[in-house]
Amino acid sequence: MARQSNKKTAAASGGRPRRSLTRRLLPYLLLIATAGAAVLALYMAHLDHEVRAKFEGTRWKLPAKVYASPLELYAGQDVSEKELITRLQRQGYRRAASVDDAGTYNESGAGLALHTRDFQFWNGAQPDRKLRLGFDANGVSSLKATDGEGDLALIRLDPQLIGSIYPNKGTDRILVKLGEVPPMLPAGLITVEDRHFMSNWGISPRGILRAAIADIKAGAIVQGGSTLTQQLVKNFYLDNQQTLSRKGKEALMAILLDAHYSKEEILEAYLNEVYLGQDGSRAIHGFGLASYFYFQKPVQELQPSEIALLVAMVKGPSYYDPRRHPDRARTRRDLVLNMFHEAGFLKDDAWQAAKASDLGVTGTAARGNTQYPAFIDLVKRQLKGQYKDEDLTEEGLRVFTTLDPTVQAAAEGRIADGLSRVEKQRGIKADTLESAAVVTSIEGGNVLALVGGREQGYAGFNRALEAKRQIGSLMKPVDYLTAMMQPAKFNPITPLDDSPLSVKLATGKTWQPGNYSNRSHGDNVPAYYGLEHSLNIASSRLSLAAGIPNIIDTLGKLGYEGDAPAVPSLALGSVSMSPLEVAQIYNTIATGGYYTPLRAIKDVTTREGEPLNRYPLKLTQTVDAGPAYITTWMMERVARHGTGAGMYSTIDRSKTMAGKTGTTNNLRDAWFAGFGGNRLGVVWVGRDDNKPAKLTGATGALPIWSHIMADINTRGIVDTPPDSIAQVPLQLIFDPNAANQGAGNNPNQWFANGQSCSNAVKVPFIKGFVPQGLLNCDTDIMRVNAQQNQPADNRGRAPRDQDNDQGSWFERIF
Amino acid sequence: MAGCASAPPDTMPRTPPGQPSPQQGQTQPLPPSQRQAPPQVPADRGGPSPSRQNQSRQPDTPPKEAPPQHAEAVSSPAVMSLMGRADTLAGSGHMDDAAATLERALDLEPRNAFIYQRLAAVRLAQGQAGQAEQLAQKSNSVAGDNPFVEADNWKLIAEARKTAGDAKGASAASSKAVNYERSTAQYSQ
Repeated sequence: MARQSNKKTAAASGGRPRRSLTRRLLPYLLLIATAGAAVLALYMAHLDHEVRAKFEGTRWKLPAKVYASPLELYAGQDVSEKELITRLQRQGYRRAASVDDAGTYNESGAGLALHTRDFQFWNGAQPDRKLRLGFDANGVSSLKATDGEGDLALIRLDPQLIGSIYPNKGTDRILVKLGEVPPMLPAGLITVEDRHFMSNWGISPRGILRAAIADIKAGAIVQGGSTLTQQLVKNFYLDNQQTLSRKGKEALMAILLDAHYSKEEILEAYLNEVYLGQDGSRAIHGFGLASYFYFQKPVQELQPSEIALLVAMVKGPSYYDPRRHPDRARTRRDLVLNMFHEAGFLKDDAWQAAKASDLGVTGTAARGNTQYPAFIDLVKRQLKGQYKDEDLTEEGLRVFTTLDPTVQAAAEGRIADGLSRVEKQRGIKADTLESAAVVTSIEGGNVLALVGGREQGYAGFNRALEAKRQIGSLMKPVDYLTAMMQPAKFNPITPLDDSPLSVKLATGKTWQPGNYSNRSHGDNVPAYYGLEHSLNIASSRLSLAAGIPNIIDTLGKLGYEGDAPAVPSLALGSVSMSPLEVAQIYNTIATGGYYTPLRAIKDVTTREGEPLNRYPLKLTQTVDAGPAYITTWMMERVARHGTGAGMYSTIDRSKTMAGKTGTTNNLRDAWFAGFGGNRLGVVWVGRDDNKPAKLTGATGALPIWSHIMADINTRGIVDTPPDSIAQVPLQLIFDPNAANQGAGNNPNQWFANGQSCSNAVKVPFIKGFVPQGLLNCDTDIMRVNAQQNQPADNRGRAPRDQDNDQGSWFERIF
Repeated sequence: MAGCASAPPDTMPRTPPGQPSPQQGQTQPLPPSQRQAPPQVPADRGGPSPSRQNQSRQPDTPPKEAPPQHAEAVSSPAVMSLMGRADTLAGSGHMDDAAATLERALDLEPRNAFIYQRLAAVRLAQGQAGQAEQLAQKSNSVAGDNPFVEADNWKLIAEARKTAGDAKGASAASSKAVNYERSTAQYSQ
């Protein structure tokens, strides 16, 4: 009033107004204030833009997710109940009294009750199902749906998430929606981190005050006092610096965020953004990924104790790391459980039960990329060139691979055990040996397991792909295969000369291969025996006669893409290959000559499940079935009677297996490569510095190989002679220790029983190339047969149907 | 001299056409002719040998028992279900999905000749003549002595070669198919 009258007076008087100092400064103050407000407004507008752009734009770069192959469940599957439960536990399935929830099982009744998870496969969604599985000695004997949703012949378990493809030093996450997480998770977060989240404006003046007091007392910024919104802003937009201006900016942005977006949107962003751990160079962000990282299961299935642990870790993921600091983590988890209980969303008994449960995190091994670094490496290499790096690290693609976690676990475990054991047995310094292994499915060319070194989970040198070592005698099956492709010249009982050999090389040097035993086995060794016992000299002669260029050609047909040196010593494996390359070559032999490129990936889809790329089965017959069959037959003899026979101290004798040992000069490398009916394995053992490992293929690699193959229930080879094969029952009598060039003093005894020879073995020949005059029940020594063979009628047998043989069988090679 | 690993004794039947899963015998009702099968596998092939079903055939009763003419005889219910699904998918033109489903079946029974044969047919329908022929050949290679399967495979190969413009090869394949068809006569009742 007074002011008004004053004004009037002034106006009425028309004279110069008398002003106080304040009044005189007011316009300037206003101007400054306006300018300040304008600057602030501009700054706010700038922040506002930043906040909104980030929040609404592509908020998160989503690394591609890599999955193992899913376990198929069906009556007839050779998986025992115990093995299945191990698998379920590895995938975070929970044993529960009732299997009402997805991701649970119970084995107490008859058989196993199981509630599978739903999953978006490459060919569409598969809903969750309730099942009951019966078992017998062979594995799954019955599969019944118990949810009334119709019968099933088979069902896939959700595949295990085995890794992500993230940029170096990248962040990794799996997005979740607020509506799909257990309600206890957001409620618990609010209770523990920001009680007034639902009503505050993004900042908490009280909290700031409290923090400020604490800071002043300490003389530095020690306390956050942050709301969830502020924490989100800090994670989202700012780095970790704690300066006063940062705090101011953070508060302003929190207010803006709160003004623009609903509490639900902010909470969901928080759930996906919050930092929850470190996996090597990979930062674990969000509860979706943390749930897999710590518990190997989807966030939907988290139990109260698990939710409490994750909420507890928000305060300091490395300080409360449950794997490294389980006691700290447990104390804080229990504190959080108490808060849950006080807040009323955990009833007494559930609270007690949760506090009594252990942390439940999977072992250090069972987590993401560090679990299968060698295999993920192979996956990346196979994806390279087909996708841009950003596609793989940002678009959330889903990569479905061929990895079988059970096979992988067996291979890793057996390598670790086997190396320690052999070091101890042979007095080798501990931890000096290294190893690598590959296991494939043979048909289909699926890489089921890949081990890059003995230290599992160590993402270093991937020996399975990068360690190129001489393959030694692993080469011999390729030599013999090449020879058998020339049926006019070679068959399984072609006599080979194993006496000392020296070959003048183009370089002027002389090549003189020696046998491992340093002795000759005579000049009449049947070919199969040369491979069976890995005789270097006999095999070299065979290879030189078959032609080194032809052997190189065979290598190419089997799928080897490198350059093999065209030198005689190639016959004995003077070519360097990685275990994976060896696996490719042997895989082609094992399929009967059908080259099937080894693959680690089957499908790639978008984040939503739209198929992007399929890697279908492709096969090409590159080697005739007949020679492949004969070679496999000879490798089966290696396993039964030759250098690989040690396998049957581990593997069931009833199973027919085929394989070959490999040992390189000075015992640097020990190899074994071999297969059964449905699994092929290659194991290398040696030293990184390429010094002698003092092991042979049979002592170093074969025991590991045998244990892996036994663990994974490899089936025996089913004998399927192709049409081009003729089988002749023969008595395999050759014994290099016997007199008379291995025939013994009385070879006539073998012919006493005419056509009845129960000890005979069906020896395969290419049809049309059975040696002339060879009769059923003859021996494997052609010289001995020839002496007996005149005339055939005298022995009471008719000659077999013969071809007009070009290659006179008594002619020795060289 | 010990017996040879790969040469089964005479009581053993020849190669199984397609390799049934080990538990075949329990999970799928066998045709009556196979029911009297000896429940035990021969000693040297004990354990979960994949050829059990086949071993149940009686090789010593002449005339030779007919090899399976249809997938049902050697395939587990799981594989039959997948093959049925693949047929449906192929029928509605979803060839890639049909192929992927058949590959899934192959993972279960990697030496089942009927699956390779159907995959060959799918590839042929997609115009992939080369793969179709390779897959049909592969089917032959795991079929063992089964003229029914082989006749069908050679028909497929003839078609594939025709598609690829190889008339001479196609007619060679056709006559092979005819030969195999003829040799199925030995099994006619």
